[in-house]
Amino acid sequence: MTCTKRVGELVECARRRTEPGRDLRAHLAGCTPCAERWEAERELTDQFRTMRLRAAALMALDTERDGLMRDFARLDLAGQRRRRAVRSWVLALGAAAALLVSVFVGHIAGTRMRQTPPRAIRTNGRRNPPTVFYEAGGFETNGFEKSGFEPSGFEPSGFEPSSDASALSSDDFIAVPYTPPLAQGELVRVVHADLYPEALASLGFDIDPASASNVPADVVVGEDGIPRAVRITEIAQN
Amino acid sequence: MQRSDEELYRLMRKGNQDAFAQLYARRAPGLRRYALHTSGSPTVAEEVSQEVFLQLMGPTCRYDEAKGSLESFLYGIARNLIRVVRRQGPVEEAVDRAFEHDILGDLISDETNAALRRTLRELPERYRDVVVLCDLEERSYEDVARLIGRPVGTVRSRLHRARALLAAKLKRLNAPAEVFSR
Repeated sequence: MTCTKRVGELVECARRRTEPGRDLRAHLAGCTPCAERWEAERELTDQFRTMRLRAAALMALDTERDGLMRDFARLDLAGQRRRRAVRSWVLALGAAAALLVSVFVGHIAGTRMRQTPPRAIRTNGRRNPPTVFYEAGGFETNGFEKSGFEPSGFEPSGFEPSSDASALSSDDFIAVPYTPPLAQGELVRVVHADLYPEALASLGFDIDPASASNVPADVVVGEDGIPRAVRITEIAQN
Repeated sequence: MQRSDEELYRLMRKGNQDAFAQLYARRAPGLRRYALHTSGSPTVAEEVSQEVFLQLMGPTCRYDEAKGSLESFLYGIARNLIRVVRRQGPVEEAVDRAFEHDILGDLISDETNAALRRTLRELPERYRDVVVLCDLEERSYEDVARLIGRPVGTVRSRLHRARALLAAKLKRLNAPAEVFSR
């Protein structure tokens, strides 16, 4: 066995203050470095014992204990736990209340929005109504030129957003012919306008073209400003 | 039947002062000695020990039983506090000075022991810890392995290495005396 392997045994014997075995003794007798290490290890163990005694004597007097116990009593950990529990309950209840309030407010707001007449709606790609010839004035002319008819007789003075909530639920709308179809999801507006009676008569409405007064009507206008459909309001029809 | 450290800790956190007192009586002396051996100052040792228990009872204490024993946690706090103290500069208040007017101190004080204490404090932390815990606190290899979170084999090899360094130092210290005695 080499010296390196003996050292482990030697250290453990010195630590435990036990005599080395016969083999190790024989090795120590013939190996000077190991014998010196053995002596050093034994002395080290003695010195550690001295250090232990000194530390034990030095630390025997406990000056902190009473102070720490007083600190502990002041801390009131049980009270802290209770307060923490109460605080977490309050937080949880507050969060639940806030959630309920937000749901309630959302519900109210949703109800009110349903009651408000729509200013703009999504078409969802609905097909245009049956084609009827129509002449209109007062709108942008580009779209009409592209669609192949001459805009005329549309009175721009009474142009305003419609306030009729049932405007789009009615089936009285008549499509304006030769207009590009509405795109999927395109927004349309329903506007209220005064139209010339001649223009409405040409669309097929039963109106005397010689009538002097303009006829109020709802007009469905696409995002491009081109009218897509027309409906005479009840006042006018009367 | 004796309650475990962890049970005492749980009771203590519920405000049980007896549990805290038991825990303190069980662990404070060892922590104070550990701090004394590693710092070399009785004052630092007391402060460290006190701070460990103040942290334990404080609201920010984050001891988790699943991560290890409470004792290991306490020694970890002490180790960190001593690191902070050592980083701030050398601790000059030697153990000898504390024993200046003490009869026992006069009897056992000698240069060799003082030099050995200095050498021990100058050792790298990984070696110093195992010497303090295994040889000065007389803990088993298994205990120390659990406390420092290393395998038993590592503890043993570190201790042997540390003792070799200290033995070499002792040999150098004793050499002039031998020459003089001849």
